[in-house]
Amino acid sequence: MEMYIKFANDNLWAELWPELSLGLGAMIVLGINLFSNSSNAQRNAGNFAVLFQFLLLLIHLFDYLLIRHTFDRESFSGMLQHGIHQDIMRSFFLFSSLLVSLLGQGFLVSRQLRIGEFHHLVMVATAGLMVLCQSQNFLVFFVALETVALCFYPLVAYHKDSAKSLEAGIKYLIFGALSSALLLLGIVLLYGVGANPAAWGATLPSVGSSDSFSFNNLYHLLAQNPDHLLLRSGVVLIISGIAFKIGAAPFQIWVPDVYHGAPMPVTAFLAVSSKAAGFFVLLTLVNGPFAGMSDFLLPLFGFVATFTIFFGNLAACSQRNLKRMLGLSGVAHAGYLMVAVMASMILPGSSDRAVWILFFYLFTYLLASFAVFGVMGMAKVSDDAAHEFSDYENLAKKKPWAGFTLVVGIGSLAGIPPLAGFIGKLLLFSVAFETKLYFSLVAMVIGVVISIYYYFGWIREICFQPRPVFEDDEPRHDPWAGREGFALLKAVMLSLVFASIFLGLWQGPLGDAF
Amino acid sequence: MLTVTPHHFLILSFILVGIGFFGLLIRRNVLLMLMSLELMLNGINVALLTFSRVGNNLDGGIFVFFIMTVAAAEVAVGLALLVALYKKRRSVLSDDMALLKN
Repeated sequence: MEMYIKFANDNLWAELWPELSLGLGAMIVLGINLFSNSSNAQRNAGNFAVLFQFLLLLIHLFDYLLIRHTFDRESFSGMLQHGIHQDIMRSFFLFSSLLVSLLGQGFLVSRQLRIGEFHHLVMVATAGLMVLCQSQNFLVFFVALETVALCFYPLVAYHKDSAKSLEAGIKYLIFGALSSALLLLGIVLLYGVGANPAAWGATLPSVGSSDSFSFNNLYHLLAQNPDHLLLRSGVVLIISGIAFKIGAAPFQIWVPDVYHGAPMPVTAFLAVSSKAAGFFVLLTLVNGPFAGMSDFLLPLFGFVATFTIFFGNLAACSQRNLKRMLGLSGVAHAGYLMVAVMASMILPGSSDRAVWILFFYLFTYLLASFAVFGVMGMAKVSDDAAHEFSDYENLAKKKPWAGFTLVVGIGSLAGIPPLAGFIGKLLLFSVAFETKLYFSLVAMVIGVVISIYYYFGWIREICFQPRPVFEDDEPRHDPWAGREGFALLKAVMLSLVFASIFLGLWQGPLGDAF
Repeated sequence: MLTVTPHHFLILSFILVGIGFFGLLIRRNVLLMLMSLELMLNGINVALLTFSRVGNNLDGGIFVFFIMTVAAAEVAVGLALLVALYKKRRSVLSDDMALLKN
């Protein structure tokens, strides 16, 4: 009996209730899908998924805002950690997967793709992301990361009638698997030195247990041996594995191709959730186990951030395809966020100002990205991968609400004053200045100025008609003709946009944290 | 007297990982690229087991099973995607995958 009580106290399954219910919901969606043969009944699976995730988000917010937001706790013998940061990220992922499911429903119905499997994969991926952000042990970390990756490969290739989608899926799989192999090699090197420090010429940390996968033990090991060659290589390999996931240079090569080929809701999911998880994990690692190596990591990060900002912005300038442009501008955003990670390494503690600014930036990025991708998903272009600038010509007059949503979304991504994206960038600049990262600050400012060029090129297309129309022109296909379905989606897009404007004018209690 | 030390196993594992990595870079056939990935993961397994043995720590041995499972799942997904693409394009060469460009 004693043993069972100890077992129950060590493994607090109840702490994982959002992940467990997401997994359960995913199974129910698959079940509904399995036993429904008409396409109408299949649609129910999607409606159920959206409703389920909405309720789960509400209950989760209620749970952590009102019941237990105050204390940090551990479960599964220290393998998982739950606290305010992790709860914020959980709500973030639930919110984002709810929006992906909602966008996906419209997308799948209009293109007659299978519905249930999509929502199943989105929900399982979200559960994986949530576990990933709470892991304090490389074993859990690796398994959660692979759960997410294995859900993303089929999602990217989901439009299986389109060769572009399949090609993007294979490219993502090859690059993703390579990045997990590098990350794994890093984990193995850290483990090897941790399991027997004396055999590899490292000094044994005086505290800690024999569990050399846990972040806590690795912290002591790395703090004692910051110059050890194997440990350094391990840390660099792990960081490069994560850099692949967030699309930081020099590992950004897959980003434009995969964003281009993936179905629109999946592109949004990749841009928001996958990147946010990568940054949170990076933050946990550099403030936790890798804190002892910050002297070595800071110059490396500074180089990566500057390179990423310039590469993303300059490459985005020359793109004609909008999905590629958004992908590369996402690379530039990853560069800005790297600067926040650097600032958090310099500021003491693991819950400093830079962390809160990173959360705020990610949230504004979520609002703006889903507004933009949501409207793009409604365009009736023949090929989902081919969104050109000219498809958006004069949109503000054809569909005022769509034009407005897009302009505000793009403006927030670019960081135009009354919008939330501007406040995010301003806070990022201020924290970079405070931590004396002047070089990165200059790179960020130059990057933002370059980004205005390509973002405003798009706004120009939306608001005006830059190309003249002649009498004898071939009539072009207008992707915005015809009636639009889904009033719910329209309402959600508009509320995202108003949230962007509102957060730009008033940060409320969030402002105190800055 | 020549004995096999942990260093030999580590060198073997790094050679395997290196062959896998360069195979991934120079191969043009996606099937062979997937095999190179497998080789990399198996090389990592050898390193993990060596470290586990030197450290007298069973965690590494357990981790190997997770890696093997993940590698199998990854290849299953990869082959499924490749078959779907082959049905469309009648080719598994990476040079023929050039639809996605600016």
